[in-house]
Amino acid sequence: MKYQSQSIAKLYFIAAIGLFVGQILFGVILGLQYVMGDFLFPEIPFNVARMVHTNLLIVWLLFGFMGSAYYLVPEEAERELYAPWLAKLMFWIFLVAGALTILGYLLVPYATLAEITMNDLLPTMGREFLEQPTITKIGIVIVALSFLFNIGMTILSGRKTVINLVMLTGMTGLAVFFLFSFYNPDNLVLDKYFWWFVVHLWVEGVWELIMASILAYVLIKITGVDREVIEKWLYIIIAMALITGLIGTGHHFFWIGTPGYWQWLGSVFSALEPIPFFMMTLFAFNVVNKRRRDHPNKAATLWALGTAVMAFLGAGVWGFLHTLAPVNYYTHGTQITAAHGHMAFYGAYVMVVLTMISYSMPIMRGQKAGNDRAQIVEMWSFWLMTVSMVFITLFLTGAGILQVYLQRYSEDPMTFMVTQDKIEVFYWMREVAGLVFLAGLGAYITSFFVKGEEVKIA
Amino acid sequence: MKSDKTTDKELQIQLASNAALASLINLTILPIIGFIALIWIYRKTQAGTIARYHAVLGFKINIVAAAVLFLVSALMILFGGFNSPWTWVYVITYFTLVHTLFIVLAVWALVRAWSGDTLLNSNSS
Repeated sequence: MKYQSQSIAKLYFIAAIGLFVGQILFGVILGLQYVMGDFLFPEIPFNVARMVHTNLLIVWLLFGFMGSAYYLVPEEAERELYAPWLAKLMFWIFLVAGALTILGYLLVPYATLAEITMNDLLPTMGREFLEQPTITKIGIVIVALSFLFNIGMTILSGRKTVINLVMLTGMTGLAVFFLFSFYNPDNLVLDKYFWWFVVHLWVEGVWELIMASILAYVLIKITGVDREVIEKWLYIIIAMALITGLIGTGHHFFWIGTPGYWQWLGSVFSALEPIPFFMMTLFAFNVVNKRRRDHPNKAATLWALGTAVMAFLGAGVWGFLHTLAPVNYYTHGTQITAAHGHMAFYGAYVMVVLTMISYSMPIMRGQKAGNDRAQIVEMWSFWLMTVSMVFITLFLTGAGILQVYLQRYSEDPMTFMVTQDKIEVFYWMREVAGLVFLAGLGAYITSFFVKGEEVKIA
Repeated sequence: MKSDKTTDKELQIQLASNAALASLINLTILPIIGFIALIWIYRKTQAGTIARYHAVLGFKINIVAAAVLFLVSALMILFGGFNSPWTWVYVITYFTLVHTLFIVLAVWALVRAWSGDTLLNSNSS
């Protein structure tokens, strides 16, 4: 580790992994509630468990992104972080605010949470993924602005590379688009329209920039390929991500009451959205193939390659599967969306954060890479989590196809709940795959504690 | 000034890359047209070269992909019935996953061709 302030990333990564565990535990609970509707009812109703599952995902990924930025920005800028104390302070504020919010979801009724957090002064609650109390949202903005100030000042007063500028652009976009969560119009069409400005433009817009910069940074480190080569790829990838992803938002506007031209715009541009992910696969394969060194951290290389492939599968292919308006007419809001969501989030964002943790954590612990035994356990965790996520996706895809056929396509359509009974077998199989994923996560955490002969920094 | 040997090697890598690209295009955006391009490139290659290797590899990947994708899907429809929802559960899921795996394989073949290597072994000497 070249700069002392990079070690702040460790705090963020530990919190991210802790929250990741929480997310998966609630995922397993949810999976069981799909087939045993009264499981843990009334203590943890389905709607609350779902809210916790999705909110924990968002929060831990934000911790992961910020940790990644705090690690790579000083090294890229060739200077210490502008204000390490601010990064530590914001960590604790974000962690406490996040934990209180989750506890609020679990311990009091949602309406009561809205009341005690004075949502009526500036109503922003009650929308999927943006359920956080207004005061938490304000906290997120403060944390995001402080974070941007910190890495922005570090970059501006240090070396400016494509990687840290793409990271800064992505993080700025993340902060800016989150502001739409404060706009809560009464008109339901406008509400959904701007809601997607946060949700879609995060995950299919600016987050791709963050992902690409993290992946590029790790690939430079583990392959030794020239920075110029990687930077050229990065330019093309982020250009394609923005060109396709911004207007690709239109695939969410097909059926919400917006003008019909969105069906054309959304279909055409989002059909092109697999391109940046395809290029990421090509890019990762190419630089690993041309690597100039055999980095001792084999696990990080595996995570990096895995990210590229799984992001292409989950975000690219499974997104394309239901993105054209004539197809989406039948598939929107079914388990096909859930299949895409699971593999895309895992492949693109979970894996890229784990790639960064895999690369940087041993260095922050004074080693160049984890010992051989630890890496073997980590690679086992990679395969367990990745293969089980593939199966989760396949089972949900099967459930989705059957759901579409029985509920929306057949001449004698079934009701929603009758259809749910018919696809129960897929939910059981998904639950089993979810338990394997949990075991993989257990192996991942264990890998940090496996002792062995250390690989020292040369 | 480049030697003839270097120029020939570059030409072979260029041809190999074009073959691998044609194979990838056939699997993705321009099926059939990509395959015709692959045949055209194959005719320009010579036996024992990396270009011939990647042209032949492209044929293998695409022919196996076509068989595995269309034949198996057709059998699923034949035995499962066109109007059974379960048939489409299997066909769509299978086709999407297996098609993607062939695309990923073709991408790997392309990057290997770029560096003048065979699929599994470095062969850049």
